[in-house]
Amino acid sequence: MKKFFSGIISQSSFTKDPKKKNIVFTKYINQLTSFHYKKSRLYKKYLNGLKYNPKKKYELSKIPFLPVRLFKEFDFLSIDEKKIYKILYSSGTSSGNLSKIYLDKLNALNQIKILQKIFNTINGSKRLPMLIIDKQILHLDRNKFNASIAAIRGFSIFANHVTYLLDENDEINYNQLNIFLKKNKKNNFLIFGFTHNVYLNLIERLDLNKIRYNSFSNALLIHGGGWKKIEKKKIIKKKFNDFLNNKLKIKNIKNYYGLVEQIGSIFFECKCGYFIPSNYSEIIIRDQNFKEVGYGKKGIVQLLSLLPTSYPGHSILTEDIGEMIYDPKCDCYGHGKRFLIHGRLKSAELRGCANI
Amino acid sequence: MSIDAKYLVGRKAKLSTFVEPFNPGVVEFLKDFSKELDNQKKTKNYPDLKALSFFCREKNILIFRKKYHNQDTIRYGLGLLFHITPSNIPTNFAYSLIFGLLTGNSNIIKVPSMDFDEIKIICKCLNVTLKLKKHTEVKNMIAVIKYSNRHEITKKLSLICDGRLIWGGDQTVKKIKEFETKPKNIDVPLSDRYSVTLLNSEKFINLPEYKKNILIQNFYNDTYVADQNACSSPHLILWHGKFFVKARTKFWSALNELVKKKYNPPAISSVDNFSRLASNFITNKNIKSYQILNKSLYVVTLKKIESGKIIEKSKWGFFYECDILDLKRIEHIVERKLQTITYFGFSKNYLFNFFKKHNFHGIDRIVPIGQALSINLIWDGYDLIKMLSREIDIR
Repeated sequence: MKKFFSGIISQSSFTKDPKKKNIVFTKYINQLTSFHYKKSRLYKKYLNGLKYNPKKKYELSKIPFLPVRLFKEFDFLSIDEKKIYKILYSSGTSSGNLSKIYLDKLNALNQIKILQKIFNTINGSKRLPMLIIDKQILHLDRNKFNASIAAIRGFSIFANHVTYLLDENDEINYNQLNIFLKKNKKNNFLIFGFTHNVYLNLIERLDLNKIRYNSFSNALLIHGGGWKKIEKKKIIKKKFNDFLNNKLKIKNIKNYYGLVEQIGSIFFECKCGYFIPSNYSEIIIRDQNFKEVGYGKKGIVQLLSLLPTSYPGHSILTEDIGEMIYDPKCDCYGHGKRFLIHGRLKSAELRGCANI
Repeated sequence: MSIDAKYLVGRKAKLSTFVEPFNPGVVEFLKDFSKELDNQKKTKNYPDLKALSFFCREKNILIFRKKYHNQDTIRYGLGLLFHITPSNIPTNFAYSLIFGLLTGNSNIIKVPSMDFDEIKIICKCLNVTLKLKKHTEVKNMIAVIKYSNRHEITKKLSLICDGRLIWGGDQTVKKIKEFETKPKNIDVPLSDRYSVTLLNSEKFINLPEYKKNILIQNFYNDTYVADQNACSSPHLILWHGKFFVKARTKFWSALNELVKKKYNPPAISSVDNFSRLASNFITNKNIKSYQILNKSLYVVTLKKIESGKIIEKSKWGFFYECDILDLKRIEHIVERKLQTITYFGFSKNYLFNFFKKHNFHGIDRIVPIGQALSINLIWDGYDLIKMLSREIDIR
């Protein structure tokens, strides 16, 4: 598998030739599917159910997908248990069960490598100071925030220096913040946080009277993790960006999209407001009968990634709603697909009879 | 009595009244409530509300009275009933209330925290009807409240009531039973159940086309109307007789036509169904074949009826089916959790004799296809009139 990766990682992050990407990607994803078929006992049972033939080469849209919910029910492994290096857990899902994603050392490393590679294409390779809209990892509950910790760790590699906005009691640490802002009066810097945390702390709570150096306009703000928690306040992207713009003069704001369940699938919003798959990932939008749909139609998101080799998460059916966009004017990053995410499928609240 | 919860009905109800079962005032109230519900414009859009209003008609209640009430005895309601009602069927709380009233009790009903339209409409009609002067007595017998995860309220109510109707999953029932009650309190646990359908393939094949369609429509009503969510909606179809292949093909394709025309579930259902199939591939060794007729009709054909193994309850039109040559094989799936058998192609008499001969530890209802959801005063094996009232023994 190391060899498999060296081929993939040496590619550039984005392509100018979508047809070629499709050919290469399809070749690799077929290899991965039959690899996991051989390595994961549970995944093999699943594919046998679908009558998958490991010798056949499938076109991209025919590659089997695994419903993401199954990571909550089963421990999918394509490596020897002894090789498990890191377990990622998904947080904040309605059913209470957690997804468990098993990574070996190679997968954990590649996840970070690819994240960095994609990010560098977008923002240059220079490391910048970073303000993290959270508290220090050591104050986060490992069991509850495992996925958040992984994301914070992942993103903090873009920083040459990290400052946390919150103290251990979740209060804004104005002292630290002022030191950070003063230091970076004239520098570009990064802000990273989960969408709901950014909203709560920068938009709702931050008291401008307590800030001595307002240099927020130098910032590139990266946020992700979904809008669900602030949906009740009717906050949509436009409003969110306007708030940050008006209050802090932050103009450069990038939303990202990704799932714990699939390493390698990370998408940063481009200037035109779209997500664009890199050379390591792909997206297909499907209708309720799982037929692929074209531009402008909302549907269920299937994500594919070349990175997962320690667990069969290279092609998953998410519970997110997405839409393919056709916009020949958008020339950001590379050519090929563009998409939007419109939240999650509403989970039917009727769950058996239990309701105390 | 006042509880720190949201009252949908009866904040000022005294809840200390108890009367005899089928009290004329109660019957009159249900009659007026039924009319009020019928008069609501929105009721037309909800088949479950129409069914509820139909249930409360005076004629229907009097049939119940004739069937279940012995005029020669002296009976009274237990006193105050505390109902914990489930979220799988929005109108369920209303039936629980009606049972409480018909048995002569005062009632405090906890409704699910979800905002179902049906609950709003029903409570509105209850309030309007209770405003009529003639219903002053019944007014003191009803309170409908809403609260979520506040165990102190459940605890308080459990201590003062004389009986509890606990609808809910096994976990809920277990949890509620932990709260202390009066020594003479009676619990009626209405926990998770599942149901199956028994079909005679030969009789089905020989039905004229229009009768096949009626049967399929009835099956649809039993299942899809409540998203297959009711405990009494079947999820396993047992085919008896020689024409399994022919009958099943006809049955599912006809149902498929109906589902495509009429059923419109939320998008998550298609992911739910596919995920369930995927899980089955991994855990279920008993699959012979499967068929996805459309996103809302999955059929998994099982190799055999396995003893001791219950197939999990499904929803959104996900069915298991199995061919059984000998009806006696049914004993392999019968356990306490099996509630209803809906059937076609057997005479009532035949089934009566069969189930009388075999005393299975389960099965509380055996009804023709089409009546799975028609709730009755005998429910889950309990005679609710007898359980929720007391008799004075005069000699």
